[in-house]
Amino acid sequence: MLLLQNARIASENSPVLLEADVLIVEGKIQDIGNNLAIPEGARVIDARGRILMPAMFDAHVHFRAPGFEAKETITTGSEAAINGGITGVVMMPNTRPAIDSAMVVATVLDNAKHRSRIPIYTSGCVTKDRQGKELAEIDGMRELGVKMLTDDGDTTNDPAVLLRAMQYATEFGMFFASHCEVPELAGPRALNEGVMSYRLGIKGSPACAEEIIIDRDIRLAHAAGAHVHIQHVSSKLGMETIRWWKSRGDVKVTAEVAPHHLLFTEEHIGNYDTNYKMNPPLRTQADCDALLEGLIEGVLDLIATDHAPHTPYEKAQDFISAPNGITGLDTALVSLYHYFVEPAKFGWDVVVKRYSAEPRRLMGLPVAAIEVGQKAECLLFDTEAETTFTREFMKSKSHNTPFLDQTLKGRVDLVILGTEILLER
Amino acid sequence: MARKDLLDIASLHREEIELLLDQSTSFKKLFTRSVNKVPALGGKSVLMLFYEASTRTHSSFEVAAKRLSADVTNFDIAHSSITKGESVRETVETLQAMRTDYIVVRHGRSGLPGLIARQTKASVINAGDGAHEHPTQALLDAFTIKEKFPDPRGKKVLIIGDILHSRVARSTSTLLQKLGVEVAYLGPGSLVPKYGPATIRRFTDYQAAMAWSPDVVYLLRVQMERQDVQFFPSLREYHRLYGITNDRLAEIQQRGLYIMHPGPVNRGVELCDAVMDYERSLITNQVENGIVIRMAVLDWLTPGGDAPRAEPTFGRSYERSC
Ligand SMILES: [Zn+2]
Repeated sequence: MLLLQNARIASENSPVLLEADVLIVEGKIQDIGNNLAIPEGARVIDARGRILMPAMFDAHVHFRAPGFEAKETITTGSEAAINGGITGVVMMPNTRPAIDSAMVVATVLDNAKHRSRIPIYTSGCVTKDRQGKELAEIDGMRELGVKMLTDDGDTTNDPAVLLRAMQYATEFGMFFASHCEVPELAGPRALNEGVMSYRLGIKGSPACAEEIIIDRDIRLAHAAGAHVHIQHVSSKLGMETIRWWKSRGDVKVTAEVAPHHLLFTEEHIGNYDTNYKMNPPLRTQADCDALLEGLIEGVLDLIATDHAPHTPYEKAQDFISAPNGITGLDTALVSLYHYFVEPAKFGWDVVVKRYSAEPRRLMGLPVAAIEVGQKAECLLFDTEAETTFTREFMKSKSHNTPFLDQTLKGRVDLVILGTEILLER
Repeated sequence: MARKDLLDIASLHREEIELLLDQSTSFKKLFTRSVNKVPALGGKSVLMLFYEASTRTHSSFEVAAKRLSADVTNFDIAHSSITKGESVRETVETLQAMRTDYIVVRHGRSGLPGLIARQTKASVINAGDGAHEHPTQALLDAFTIKEKFPDPRGKKVLIIGDILHSRVARSTSTLLQKLGVEVAYLGPGSLVPKYGPATIRRFTDYQAAMAWSPDVVYLLRVQMERQDVQFFPSLREYHRLYGITNDRLAEIQQRGLYIMHPGPVNRGVELCDAVMDYERSLITNQVENGIVIRMAVLDWLTPGGDAPRAEPTFGRSYERSC
């Protein structure tokens, strides 16, 4: 039994915070109200000044298992999630072996059960070994609970293959998540084609490489009657393409944006800083502004980190050789608060809706609202405190993030999942 | 204002550039009086680390170092057992053990000399990295131009060719602009990107570029090997559109324009044979000036200044991932 007193409660429905006590009994929210009586044996937490909100859910993470456990494991990845106030994640299947069959899905989920304190979901590949040629065994994966099909890390390049997959898998109630990139245009380097690629003398990837596939994959979904989810949108025109398709209303399309695409531009790469090397690449301030607008408006349905850990050894190479990606689970919520909520770019309702409710809806999961009768799946956030992202603080095995050793406003103080307190600071 | 490394032109201050150009002038005077060597770097060692072949730049640095009485070692990359994988990392570890004072590095990867510089106490000189920078080329170009125009402010230099892939274009135009020279680019639309520096005029038509009235026409070497896709249809068409043909040479002669080229020249592509005999062609001056510029750079840098940072290590290429 847990009584949180005088918390300010955030919900997806209103930017206004409701101040109340919340009583949690046996992992469920039993009562919400002012001056609730303290039941015998209850632990009381003074939450005055702090914000109580549903725990976050990240629909795009790379936990690198199986195959790349030097970068991350299911244990370190899920602890990083908890550290950041996240109580559920969807793993991407670009592992080795790739998560492309019932057998690999079973292994991964079995591992997750024993090695994680939060539920782990996995997506499955569209094609065998992500080669873009033969369809993966889709129904076998569905039986084990896979809902999202994606060759993330690469686009399923042959439109005929993707169209057939969509026609096939939609019958099983599955949806497609698209990593959008024309490989012939993008080349192997993750750097926006523009001022910075010119300055650094590295071949860039133009935004149109992404925009073409955004449009193509929505068209394919339209033709197949499928649901397509556009991953990590990074460009203004990409966002506008999604907006246009959504406005037609005759195709199911959702989309996500990563915090780094809202926060950073190509200029941050500076003198070849590989912590800013990611795919899709960081683009311009105009793109950031458009993405923020799209997020608030709901063109971009959800926030997902694309948590992509790499070892220091790999990231310390020259810019061209270094792998793409940035970690995000430890830092996402605090950075969203520091850069957007605190300066009043958007309210807590946007955070809850885009990073807690919508990702769960995408996965067909119940939304974790702070309401009587709901399962307790929530966190306490201190807006007055600060977080310094030292190596020791972060639980991810890798530290390839520009936030390393940075101090931001806000701190995740408490994470509750059912009857368990997963984190308490 | 001691500097350990020379990695780019972008971070050089104007005073530093003036200092280097003045020092080069003194060296040049010295050598026209037929002095063979000066003892400036006596007992110091210069290591040449050329991952890309370059007879011209390589021998220019070597002559420069020897004239300063330094010991020169060539790291024989082509014949060493190291494979592409771990090569740079292992090489840098080896160099660190050899306690060399200067490392002259050329590499196909943009930014790589900077990575090496952060790991070693030796002074690192970028002798060309990918499509990024080639600072000593820029300095010798500026020096050559200043010999003809002692006050180059307001003069106009038209750089013709593959701007997109050219480290020479980046470094030289940056440096010339720092000296007050106006710079314009001319080349095929696919090789003169629209997102280049806004302060540089961009032409795709030869006549329009000549109407801008340049004082110097700077031809870049067409580097087919850097092009992973086709950027223009044929060398013949390139020559016809952007090359110095016999007809165009006549116009250039009439206007008295100077011609420069970083070499080696593709004859019949960037320029016709007759250009080589044109009295205002500065191509051989550039080669000569390369030596004194590189002497000035070696003489100017201070090895050991910065403590090496431990963290960057680098090695094999990883597959695409996110
Ligand atoms: Zn992706």
